Amino acid sequence: MKRLAQVMFWASSLLLVFVVLRPAVLASVDDAQSFALQAAEPYVKQGFQVREDYWGGDLGSGEKKAVRQQLFKGNEYWFWLGTEVDRAKVSVHVYDSDGKLAEEPDGWEKGHFAAAHVVPKATGSYFIIVSVEKSPEERTHWALVYGFR
Amino acid sequence: MIPFTRHLKLSVGILCGLALCANGAQAPQRINIKQLSTTVEDVVVPLPNEIFGALNKLGTVNWKEHVRSDKGPNFTERPRIALLLGTVIADGFIAVQAEDAEAVKEIGQRVLALAKGIGVGNSITPHAKAIIEAADKRNWEHVRQELDRTQSSVQQAMNEVHDEKLSQLVSLGGWLRGTEVLTSVVKEHFSADGAELLHQPDLLSYFQTRLQAMPEFNLPIIHEIQDALVEVKPLIDVGDRHIPPDSVKKVNDITTRLDHGIVTRD
Repeated sequence: MKRLAQVMFWASSLLLVFVVLRPAVLASVDDAQSFALQAAEPYVKQGFQVREDYWGGDLGSGEKKAVRQQLFKGNEYWFWLGTEVDRAKVSVHVYDSDGKLAEEPDGWEKGHFAAAHVVPKATGSYFIIVSVEKSPEERTHWALVYGFR
Repeated sequence: MIPFTRHLKLSVGILCGLALCANGAQAPQRINIKQLSTTVEDVVVPLPNEIFGALNKLGTVNWKEHVRSDKGPNFTERPRIALLLGTVIADGFIAVQAEDAEAVKEIGQRVLALAKGIGVGNSITPHAKAIIEAADKRNWEHVRQELDRTQSSVQQAMNEVHDEKLSQLVSLGGWLRGTEVLTSVVKEHFSADGAELLHQPDLLSYFQTRLQAMPEFNLPIIHEIQDALVEVKPLIDVGDRHIPPDSVKKVNDITTRLDHGIVTRD
Protein backbone atom coordinates (compact mmCIF):
# COMPACT_ATOMS: atom_id res chain seq x y z
CA MET A 1 0.00 0.00 0.00
CA LYS A 2 2.84 2.29 0.98
CA ARG A 3 4.59 1.42 -2.28
CA LEU A 4 1.46 2.30 -4.29
CA ALA A 5 1.29 5.67 -2.52
CA GLN A 6 4.95 6.32 -3.40
CA VAL A 7 4.33 5.46 -7.07
CA MET A 8 1.28 7.73 -7.10
CA PHE A 9 3.30 10.54 -5.54
CA TRP A 10 6.08 10.29 -8.12
CA ALA A 11 3.63 9.98 -11.01
CA SER A 12 1.76 13.10 -9.84
CA SER A 13 5.02 14.99 -9.42
CA LEU A 14 6.12 14.05 -12.93
CA LEU A 15 2.75 15.10 -14.32
CA LEU A 16 3.01 18.43 -12.49
CA VAL A 17 6.51 19.04 -13.87
CA PHE A 18 5.24 18.12 -17.35
CA VAL A 19 2.30 20.54 -17.11
CA VAL A 20 4.35 23.40 -15.65
CA LEU A 21 7.28 23.05 -18.03
CA ARG A 22 5.31 22.16 -21.15
CA PRO A 23 5.08 25.64 -22.65
CA ALA A 24 8.80 26.20 -22.29
CA VAL A 25 10.14 22.78 -23.13
CA LEU A 26 7.66 21.06 -25.38
CA ALA A 27 6.18 23.98 -27.26
CA SER A 28 7.38 23.92 -30.82
CA VAL A 29 7.20 25.53 -34.21
CA ASP A 30 4.33 23.10 -34.91
CA ASP A 31 2.31 24.80 -32.15
CA ALA A 32 3.14 28.17 -33.67
CA GLN A 33 1.99 26.84 -37.04
CA SER A 34 -1.33 25.79 -35.55
CA PHE A 35 -1.86 29.39 -34.42
CA ALA A 36 -0.86 30.76 -37.82
CA LEU A 37 -3.35 28.40 -39.48
CA GLN A 38 -5.99 29.49 -36.96
CA ALA A 39 -5.46 33.09 -38.09
CA ALA A 40 -5.83 31.93 -41.72
CA GLU A 41 -9.10 30.06 -41.16
CA PRO A 42 -11.58 32.89 -41.84
CA TYR A 43 -9.84 33.69 -45.12
CA VAL A 44 -10.31 30.17 -46.51
CA LYS A 45 -14.06 30.94 -46.58
CA GLN A 46 -13.21 33.94 -48.76
CA GLY A 47 -11.56 31.66 -51.33
CA PHE A 48 -7.91 31.80 -50.24
CA GLN A 49 -5.90 28.61 -50.77
CA VAL A 50 -3.59 28.20 -47.81
CA ARG A 51 -0.27 26.51 -48.64
CA GLU A 52 0.83 23.44 -46.71
CA ASP A 53 4.40 24.68 -46.68
CA TYR A 54 5.39 27.17 -44.03
CA TRP A 55 8.38 28.89 -42.53
CA GLY A 56 9.20 28.70 -38.83
CA GLY A 57 11.83 29.14 -36.18
CA ASP A 58 12.43 31.01 -32.97
CA LEU A 59 13.38 34.60 -32.25
CA GLY A 60 14.29 36.65 -29.20
CA SER A 61 12.38 39.81 -28.27
CA GLY A 62 13.10 42.58 -30.76
CA GLU A 63 14.59 40.18 -33.31
CA LYS A 64 13.50 40.05 -36.96
CA LYS A 65 13.71 37.49 -39.73
CA ALA A 66 13.32 38.04 -43.45
CA VAL A 67 11.70 35.50 -45.73
CA ARG A 68 11.98 35.83 -49.48
CA GLN A 69 9.03 34.84 -51.60
CA GLN A 70 8.10 34.89 -55.26
CA LEU A 71 4.72 36.60 -55.76
CA PHE A 72 2.72 36.84 -58.96
CA LYS A 73 0.88 39.93 -60.20
CA GLY A 74 -2.79 39.05 -60.59
CA ASN A 75 -2.92 37.00 -57.39
CA GLU A 76 -3.82 38.35 -53.98
CA TYR A 77 -1.87 37.11 -50.93
CA TRP A 78 -2.26 37.05 -47.17
CA PHE A 79 0.61 36.11 -44.86
CA TRP A 80 -0.33 34.97 -41.35
CA LEU A 81 2.14 34.83 -38.48
CA GLY A 82 1.48 32.95 -35.25
CA THR A 83 3.19 32.03 -32.01
CA GLU A 84 2.08 29.81 -29.16
CA VAL A 85 3.42 32.26 -26.55
CA ASP A 86 0.34 33.90 -25.07
CA ARG A 87 1.67 37.31 -24.11
CA ALA A 88 4.02 37.71 -27.04
CA LYS A 89 3.48 40.46 -29.59
CA VAL A 90 4.45 39.67 -33.17
CA SER A 91 4.35 41.53 -36.46
CA VAL A 92 4.64 40.76 -40.17
CA HIS A 93 5.23 43.24 -43.01
CA VAL A 94 5.92 42.82 -46.72
CA TYR A 95 8.43 44.77 -48.84
CA ASP A 96 9.21 44.62 -52.54
CA SER A 97 12.69 43.87 -53.88
CA ASP A 98 13.61 47.58 -53.64
CA GLY A 99 12.75 47.62 -49.95
CA LYS A 100 9.52 49.59 -50.38
CA LEU A 101 6.54 48.67 -48.19
CA ALA A 102 4.27 46.66 -50.49
CA GLU A 103 1.34 45.70 -48.30
CA GLU A 104 -2.29 46.87 -48.22
CA PRO A 105 -3.37 48.96 -45.21
CA ASP A 106 -5.70 46.25 -43.83
CA GLY A 107 -2.94 44.14 -42.25
CA TRP A 108 -3.37 43.57 -38.53
CA GLU A 109 -1.62 42.58 -35.28
CA LYS A 110 -3.55 41.04 -32.43
CA GLY A 111 -1.39 39.68 -29.62
CA HIS A 112 0.26 36.50 -30.78
CA PHE A 113 -1.19 36.75 -34.29
CA ALA A 114 -0.33 39.13 -37.12
CA ALA A 115 -1.23 39.28 -40.80
CA ALA A 116 -0.20 41.19 -43.91
CA HIS A 117 -2.16 41.55 -47.14
CA VAL A 118 -0.44 41.97 -50.52
CA VAL A 119 -1.79 42.61 -53.99
CA PRO A 120 1.48 42.57 -55.98
CA LYS A 121 1.96 45.45 -58.41
CA ALA A 122 4.60 43.39 -60.21
CA THR A 123 5.66 39.75 -60.44
CA GLY A 124 8.92 39.13 -58.61
CA SER A 125 10.64 38.61 -55.26
CA TYR A 126 9.21 40.11 -52.10
CA PHE A 127 10.56 40.15 -48.56
CA ILE A 128 8.33 39.20 -45.67
CA ILE A 129 9.72 40.55 -42.41
CA VAL A 130 8.59 38.71 -39.29
CA SER A 131 9.35 40.12 -35.88
CA VAL A 132 8.83 39.24 -32.24
CA GLU A 133 8.19 42.73 -30.84
CA LYS A 134 8.06 41.54 -27.23
CA SER A 135 7.70 38.27 -25.39
CA PRO A 136 7.92 36.92 -21.85
CA GLU A 137 10.01 34.00 -23.18
CA GLU A 138 13.70 34.17 -23.99
CA ARG A 139 13.06 32.56 -27.39
CA THR A 140 9.67 32.64 -29.08
CA HIS A 141 8.62 30.15 -31.70
CA TRP A 142 7.02 31.60 -34.80
CA ALA A 143 5.44 30.19 -37.92
CA LEU A 144 4.40 31.95 -41.09
CA VAL A 145 1.87 30.54 -43.53
CA TYR A 146 0.46 32.13 -46.63
CA GLY A 147 -2.55 31.87 -48.85
CA PHE A 148 -3.47 33.19 -52.27
CA ARG A 149 -6.48 33.58 -54.52
CA MET B 1 -21.27 73.07 -25.88
CA ILE B 2 -18.81 71.50 -28.27
CA PRO B 3 -19.55 72.53 -31.86
CA PHE B 4 -20.45 69.66 -34.22
CA THR B 5 -17.29 69.96 -36.40
CA ARG B 6 -15.05 69.84 -33.32
CA HIS B 7 -17.01 66.87 -32.06
CA LEU B 8 -16.53 65.18 -35.41
CA LYS B 9 -12.78 65.90 -35.46
CA LEU B 10 -12.45 64.56 -31.92
CA SER B 11 -14.31 61.36 -32.84
CA VAL B 12 -12.23 60.84 -35.97
CA GLY B 13 -9.07 61.39 -33.91
CA ILE B 14 -10.15 58.84 -31.31
CA LEU B 15 -11.09 56.32 -34.02
CA CYS B 16 -7.73 56.77 -35.75
CA GLY B 17 -5.98 56.32 -32.43
CA LEU B 18 -7.91 53.13 -31.73
CA ALA B 19 -7.17 51.83 -35.21
CA LEU B 20 -3.49 52.50 -34.68
CA CYS B 21 -3.55 50.67 -31.34
CA ALA B 22 -5.23 47.67 -32.98
CA ASN B 23 -2.77 47.65 -35.86
CA GLY B 24 0.31 48.18 -33.71
CA ALA B 25 3.28 50.34 -34.61
CA GLN B 26 3.45 51.57 -38.20
CA ALA B 27 5.91 49.67 -40.39
CA PRO B 28 8.64 51.78 -42.00
CA GLN B 29 7.79 52.74 -45.58
CA ARG B 30 11.22 51.66 -46.78
CA ILE B 31 13.92 49.30 -45.51
CA ASN B 32 17.44 48.47 -46.63
CA ILE B 33 17.14 45.01 -48.17
CA LYS B 34 20.92 44.56 -48.30
CA GLN B 35 21.08 44.66 -44.50
CA LEU B 36 18.80 41.62 -44.36
CA SER B 37 21.03 39.37 -46.42
CA THR B 38 22.30 37.37 -43.46
CA THR B 39 18.86 36.61 -42.08
CA VAL B 40 16.98 35.71 -45.24
CA GLU B 41 15.30 32.31 -45.22
CA ASP B 42 15.02 30.06 -48.25
CA VAL B 43 12.14 30.63 -50.62
CA VAL B 44 9.07 28.42 -50.55
CA VAL B 45 8.75 27.33 -54.17
CA PRO B 46 5.33 28.39 -55.50
CA LEU B 47 2.96 25.65 -56.54
CA PRO B 48 2.11 25.47 -60.26
CA ASN B 49 -1.50 26.42 -59.50
CA GLU B 50 -0.32 29.67 -57.97
CA ILE B 51 1.00 30.63 -61.41
CA PHE B 52 -1.97 29.08 -63.21
CA GLY B 53 -4.34 31.13 -61.03
CA ALA B 54 -2.63 34.36 -62.08
CA LEU B 55 -2.66 33.18 -65.71
CA ASN B 56 -6.38 32.43 -65.57
CA LYS B 57 -7.11 36.02 -64.58
CA LEU B 58 -5.54 37.24 -67.82
CA GLY B 59 -8.04 35.40 -70.00
CA THR B 60 -9.57 32.03 -70.74
CA VAL B 61 -7.03 29.25 -71.00
CA ASN B 62 -7.81 25.96 -72.72
CA TRP B 63 -6.35 23.77 -69.99
CA LYS B 64 -7.58 20.57 -71.64
CA GLU B 65 -4.91 20.84 -74.34
CA HIS B 66 -2.21 20.73 -71.63
CA VAL B 67 -3.58 17.70 -69.72
CA ARG B 68 -1.24 14.72 -69.65
CA SER B 69 -1.94 11.56 -67.74
CA ASP B 70 0.01 8.85 -69.57
CA LYS B 71 1.87 6.44 -67.30
CA GLY B 72 5.36 7.00 -68.72
CA PRO B 73 8.42 4.91 -67.95
CA ASN B 74 9.61 3.66 -64.58
CA PHE B 75 13.01 4.78 -63.38
CA THR B 76 15.30 3.21 -60.83
CA GLU B 77 17.48 6.27 -60.13
CA ARG B 78 15.96 8.18 -57.21
CA PRO B 79 16.83 11.67 -58.54
CA ARG B 80 15.01 10.86 -61.77
CA ILE B 81 11.98 9.58 -59.85
CA ALA B 82 11.99 12.78 -57.75
CA LEU B 83 12.04 15.02 -60.84
CA LEU B 84 9.29 12.97 -62.47
CA LEU B 85 7.21 13.04 -59.28
CA GLY B 86 7.32 16.85 -59.23
CA THR B 87 6.30 16.91 -62.89
CA VAL B 88 3.41 14.52 -62.33
CA ILE B 89 2.11 16.54 -59.35
CA ALA B 90 2.18 19.62 -61.62
CA ASP B 91 0.22 17.58 -64.18
CA GLY B 92 -2.31 16.98 -61.42
CA PHE B 93 -2.79 20.74 -61.00
CA ILE B 94 -3.22 21.10 -64.77
CA ALA B 95 -5.86 18.34 -64.80
CA VAL B 96 -7.66 20.17 -61.97
CA GLN B 97 -7.63 23.40 -64.00
CA ALA B 98 -9.13 21.39 -66.89
CA GLU B 99 -11.61 19.73 -64.47
CA ASP B 100 -10.67 16.35 -65.97
CA ALA B 101 -11.66 13.80 -63.31
CA GLU B 102 -10.30 10.75 -65.15
CA ALA B 103 -6.88 12.35 -65.66
CA VAL B 104 -6.77 13.43 -62.00
CA LYS B 105 -7.51 9.87 -60.86
CA GLU B 106 -4.81 8.40 -63.10
CA ILE B 107 -2.36 11.02 -61.87
CA GLY B 108 -3.27 10.17 -58.26
CA GLN B 109 -2.31 6.52 -58.91
CA ARG B 110 0.87 7.55 -60.69
CA VAL B 111 1.92 9.82 -57.81
CA LEU B 112 1.45 6.95 -55.39
CA ALA B 113 3.52 4.56 -57.54
CA LEU B 114 6.35 7.09 -57.87
CA ALA B 115 6.27 7.90 -54.16
CA LYS B 116 6.59 4.18 -53.42
CA GLY B 117 9.51 4.00 -55.86
CA ILE B 118 11.30 6.65 -53.88
CA GLY B 119 10.49 5.07 -50.50
CA VAL B 120 7.86 7.53 -49.22
CA GLY B 121 4.73 5.69 -50.34
CA ASN B 122 3.29 5.34 -46.82
CA SER B 123 2.97 9.07 -46.29
CA ILE B 124 1.27 9.52 -49.66
CA THR B 125 -1.32 6.72 -49.61
CA PRO B 126 -4.02 8.70 -47.73
CA HIS B 127 -3.52 11.73 -49.99
CA ALA B 128 -3.66 9.66 -53.20
CA LYS B 129 -6.90 8.10 -51.93
CA ALA B 130 -8.30 11.53 -51.08
CA ILE B 131 -7.36 12.87 -54.53
CA ILE B 132 -9.19 10.02 -56.26
CA GLU B 133 -12.28 10.37 -54.02
CA ALA B 134 -12.41 14.15 -54.48
CA ALA B 135 -12.00 13.78 -58.26
CA ASP B 136 -14.95 11.35 -58.28
CA LYS B 137 -17.02 14.01 -56.53
CA ARG B 138 -15.56 16.70 -58.80
CA ASN B 139 -14.56 18.62 -55.67
CA TRP B 140 -11.73 20.50 -57.38
CA GLU B 141 -10.86 22.66 -54.39
CA HIS B 142 -10.29 19.53 -52.33
CA VAL B 143 -8.20 17.93 -55.10
CA ARG B 144 -6.01 21.06 -55.21
CA GLN B 145 -5.57 20.96 -51.45
CA GLU B 146 -4.67 17.26 -51.50
CA LEU B 147 -2.14 17.77 -54.32
CA ASP B 148 -0.49 20.47 -52.19
CA ARG B 149 -0.55 18.12 -49.18
CA THR B 150 0.91 15.34 -51.33
CA GLN B 151 3.87 17.45 -52.37
CA SER B 152 4.36 18.72 -48.84
CA SER B 153 4.15 15.19 -47.33
CA VAL B 154 6.56 13.75 -49.91
CA GLN B 155 9.06 16.48 -49.14
CA GLN B 156 8.60 16.24 -45.39
CA ALA B 157 9.12 12.46 -45.54
CA MET B 158 12.26 12.97 -47.62
CA ASN B 159 13.59 15.66 -45.28
CA GLU B 160 13.03 13.38 -42.30
CA VAL B 161 15.40 10.81 -43.80
CA HIS B 162 17.82 13.58 -44.84
CA ASP B 163 16.93 13.32 -48.52
CA GLU B 164 16.53 17.12 -48.80
CA LYS B 165 18.18 17.11 -52.21
CA LEU B 166 15.57 14.76 -53.63
CA SER B 167 12.92 16.95 -52.06
CA GLN B 168 14.37 19.93 -53.94
CA LEU B 169 14.26 17.93 -57.18
CA VAL B 170 10.53 17.35 -56.65
CA SER B 171 10.06 21.13 -56.46
CA LEU B 172 12.27 21.63 -59.51
CA GLY B 173 10.34 19.07 -61.57
CA GLY B 174 7.08 20.84 -60.72
CA TRP B 175 8.50 24.26 -61.48
CA LEU B 176 9.83 23.17 -64.87
CA ARG B 177 6.50 21.64 -65.90
CA GLY B 178 4.63 24.70 -64.63
CA THR B 179 6.96 27.00 -66.58
CA GLU B 180 6.56 24.89 -69.72
CA VAL B 181 2.77 25.24 -69.57
CA LEU B 182 2.93 28.93 -68.61
CA THR B 183 5.15 29.75 -71.60
CA SER B 184 3.06 27.59 -73.90
CA VAL B 185 -0.10 29.52 -72.96
CA VAL B 186 1.59 32.96 -73.16
CA LYS B 187 3.27 32.04 -76.46
CA GLU B 188 -0.14 31.28 -78.00
CA HIS B 189 -1.82 34.46 -76.71
CA PHE B 190 0.96 36.87 -75.92
CA SER B 191 0.45 39.64 -73.38
CA ALA B 192 3.01 41.64 -71.42
CA ASP B 193 1.25 40.72 -68.16
CA GLY B 194 1.35 37.04 -69.06
CA ALA B 195 5.06 37.22 -69.91
CA GLU B 196 5.71 39.07 -66.65
CA LEU B 197 4.68 35.93 -64.75
CA LEU B 198 8.01 34.51 -65.92
CA HIS B 199 9.90 37.14 -63.94
CA GLN B 200 11.28 34.72 -61.33
CA PRO B 201 15.05 35.29 -61.32
CA ASP B 202 15.53 34.61 -57.58
CA LEU B 203 13.68 31.34 -57.82
CA LEU B 204 15.85 30.33 -60.75
CA SER B 205 19.00 31.26 -58.80
CA TYR B 206 17.68 29.21 -55.89
CA PHE B 207 17.40 26.12 -58.12
CA GLN B 208 20.83 26.77 -59.65
CA THR B 209 22.43 26.91 -56.19
CA ARG B 210 20.66 23.74 -55.11
CA LEU B 211 21.73 21.84 -58.25
CA GLN B 212 25.34 22.93 -57.77
CA ALA B 213 25.24 21.26 -54.35
CA MET B 214 24.27 17.89 -55.87
CA PRO B 215 27.51 16.63 -57.47
CA GLU B 216 26.62 13.09 -56.39
CA PHE B 217 23.65 13.09 -58.79
CA ASN B 218 25.81 12.62 -61.84
CA LEU B 219 23.01 12.09 -64.36
CA PRO B 220 22.71 13.50 -67.88
CA ILE B 221 19.28 15.04 -67.13
CA ILE B 222 20.65 16.93 -64.11
CA HIS B 223 23.50 18.36 -66.21
CA GLU B 224 21.04 19.22 -68.96
CA ILE B 225 18.85 21.13 -66.50
CA GLN B 226 21.87 22.96 -65.08
CA ASP B 227 22.93 24.10 -68.54
CA ALA B 228 19.38 25.05 -69.48
CA LEU B 229 18.92 27.24 -66.39
CA VAL B 230 21.99 29.21 -67.45
CA GLU B 231 20.27 29.78 -70.80
CA VAL B 232 16.96 30.77 -69.21
CA LYS B 233 18.38 33.23 -66.64
CA PRO B 234 19.08 36.20 -68.99
CA LEU B 235 15.71 35.70 -70.70
CA ILE B 236 13.71 36.24 -67.50
CA ASP B 237 16.06 38.39 -65.42
CA VAL B 238 15.19 41.63 -67.18
CA GLY B 239 14.69 44.03 -64.27
CA ASP B 240 11.95 46.56 -65.00
CA ARG B 241 11.86 45.79 -68.73
CA HIS B 242 9.16 43.66 -70.42
CA ILE B 243 9.87 40.06 -71.37
CA PRO B 244 9.42 39.95 -75.19
CA PRO B 245 7.53 37.22 -77.13
CA ASP B 246 10.80 35.83 -78.46
CA SER B 247 12.09 35.16 -74.93
CA VAL B 248 8.83 33.45 -73.97
CA LYS B 249 9.21 31.18 -77.00
CA LYS B 250 12.83 30.39 -76.13
CA VAL B 251 11.94 29.51 -72.52
CA ASN B 252 9.12 27.34 -73.83
CA ASP B 253 11.50 25.50 -76.19
CA ILE B 254 13.97 24.92 -73.37
CA THR B 255 11.45 23.75 -70.78
CA THR B 256 9.66 21.52 -73.33
CA ARG B 257 13.01 19.87 -74.12
CA LEU B 258 13.75 19.40 -70.40
CA ASP B 259 10.29 18.03 -69.70
CA HIS B 260 10.74 15.51 -72.50
CA GLY B 261 14.03 14.48 -70.91
CA ILE B 262 12.39 14.08 -67.50
CA VAL B 263 9.46 11.94 -68.63
CA THR B 264 11.28 9.69 -71.11
CA ARG B 265 14.00 7.12 -70.66
CA ASP B 266 17.50 8.08 -71.89
